[in-house]
Amino acid sequence: MRLRLALATAASLALALSACSSDVADDDGAEPASGASATPEGPWTFTDGSGEVVELAEVPTRIIAHAPAAAALISYGIRPVGIYGDESVDTDPNLDGVDLTGIEILGEEWGSIDVAKASTLDADLIVADWWPAEKAHSGLENSVKAKSKKLAELAPVVGPSQGGSILNLAEGYEDLAESLGADVENSQGAEDKAAFEKARDAFAAAMADKDLTALAVSPTADLLYAANPEFAPELLDFTEWGLQVVTPDAPDPDFPYWENLSWENADKYQPDVLLIDSRSFEEAKKTVAAQPTWTSIRAAEAGQLIEWPAFWLHTYADYADALTKLTADLADVDDTIGD
Amino acid sequence: MLLAGLVPVLAFLSVTQGSRDIALRDVLDAFGHFTQSSSVDDTVTVRLRVPRTILGLLVGAALGLAGTLLQGLTRNALADPGIMGVNAGAAFAVVGSITLLGVSGLAFHVAAAFVGALAATALVYTVGSLGRDGATPVKMALAGAAITAGLTAVTTGLLLTDLAAQQQYRFWQVGSLAGRYAPIVTGVAPFLLVGLVLALLCGRWLNALALGDDAARGLGVSLTRTRVATFLVVGLLCGAATAACGPIVFVGLVVPHVARFLCGPDYRWLLPYALVLGALLLLGADILGRVLGGTGELQVGVVLGILGAPFFVLLVRYARLAEL
Repeated sequence: MRLRLALATAASLALALSACSSDVADDDGAEPASGASATPEGPWTFTDGSGEVVELAEVPTRIIAHAPAAAALISYGIRPVGIYGDESVDTDPNLDGVDLTGIEILGEEWGSIDVAKASTLDADLIVADWWPAEKAHSGLENSVKAKSKKLAELAPVVGPSQGGSILNLAEGYEDLAESLGADVENSQGAEDKAAFEKARDAFAAAMADKDLTALAVSPTADLLYAANPEFAPELLDFTEWGLQVVTPDAPDPDFPYWENLSWENADKYQPDVLLIDSRSFEEAKKTVAAQPTWTSIRAAEAGQLIEWPAFWLHTYADYADALTKLTADLADVDDTIGD
Repeated sequence: MLLAGLVPVLAFLSVTQGSRDIALRDVLDAFGHFTQSSSVDDTVTVRLRVPRTILGLLVGAALGLAGTLLQGLTRNALADPGIMGVNAGAAFAVVGSITLLGVSGLAFHVAAAFVGALAATALVYTVGSLGRDGATPVKMALAGAAITAGLTAVTTGLLLTDLAAQQQYRFWQVGSLAGRYAPIVTGVAPFLLVGLVLALLCGRWLNALALGDDAARGLGVSLTRTRVATFLVVGLLCGAATAACGPIVFVGLVVPHVARFLCGPDYRWLLPYALVLGALLLLGADILGRVLGGTGELQVGVVLGILGAPFFVLLVRYARLAEL
């Protein structure tokens, strides 16, 4: 249950990131529905994140997608007929700047999908991330209401797997879009990917000049949660590109996403910079102000706090924006503060 | 006497033990040269553990006393702050202030919870005293249960529509002494201290009530005035305790039974026993949670549930509990 809650809120609480707007442009509605102009001949096969190979006689054209998956597909010109999200489409960072004209909204709260409405859309494919730890697609996990889970009976469900890098998702949706007939080369998605590569190279170049260590945290009134990068793909990516994210040595065995630090032990790790969970960034700043031991972390004392885009990134466009912001935020950070 | 002697022992342990290892010498040192800019060990000792210890003792004493008062007042061995609508009222106020007013932060939660707890207590008493025969024990228990159910339903409804509020609420609703520092302690301590003193003065009334309504009236005790006054004290104690720490179950339920087991049914003895036992139980459970939690901590509400429940079952099974 705790696991479920965290994952659900992971995607749904990243309100503070509205500044990172995606630049997925409005295509003036000129794009034919579902990219149908280029729909290739069937049969169609796709290997789902679960490893299962889904085979259909025709290439699917009427797609229902989870919000982040929809954002990715739309960037390649594949327009779903319906979407369901974990929060309001107005606040979901994944949908920021995405044109939803003509798309049916089937759910705006985690665990709740209007299956009756979905059944009228005549869908032939459902697209959502696959969560290997829970062996389920987003929105269809164990603790979701049985009524909402009936969505899976309408059409086959596919999606790339969550895993060691955000790029698993970004590349997975690119492949999926291509199989559905998208002209990937000449899409917004291709521009996003180029922007992402540029942003990543700039990030890596900036990190190469420094010797930065970071700790990703989520502070609350009674405990300081230190994130375990093993379960936060963007943190593994940052480490790969030169920002050393600390791996806590004693994650909670029941909930290995975090090591729970009592405020007495706030100074256990001494990074150069603290990455603060974007889902509660503003709240966290107030919370830590009341904690006498917060400044026992030297990075906190030095004010080296930046926002960590936590657990929500899916697309090249959002990743490009997030990395550009991180690179800027990290530009003035002193790399001699931590151990 | 022996029990009272344990209080300083636990207080000492509470300041010296915790999830962070600090040598005894450094703990003692901390009090000698403490200033704002001193070491982390000093900060932890003086600014984290001392307020926490004081709060643990006060809240434990308050809950133990409130439970005893309620059980005497309602002549119901299962009465505890939870069934009188206190927790539900506080929870509703906290969630309402997050979702409807948009305020956040522990200090706001404390204020909201206090107001909510007092309002719920007043409401329970008002509803319970409707009708010709006034606030009888059964009617108050029923009013408490009904208002708890109603408030809980609204609280849940509000939470379901607001994930951000759920995040904040789940930390408050466990019941914890962690993260409560000097401002909160000094904020609720006056209410708790006044409540504790008033509660200790209720012994004679409760003895009279224990004989039954007619006998009490015969002894010259005004039933209505006694019930209103006692209920006010309970609201004050539970409201302040719940505000500071979140809903802490079990202390208010079990402490009166242990006290009755130790000293018999005379409330003039029961109340001081309950005060000391409540303080010992809550602080002891908190120390355990801190020591057993590794680099983190187990919330005191969790420890009480895990250790307290089997203990209570054993007590009920093998000891002859005194009748109310």
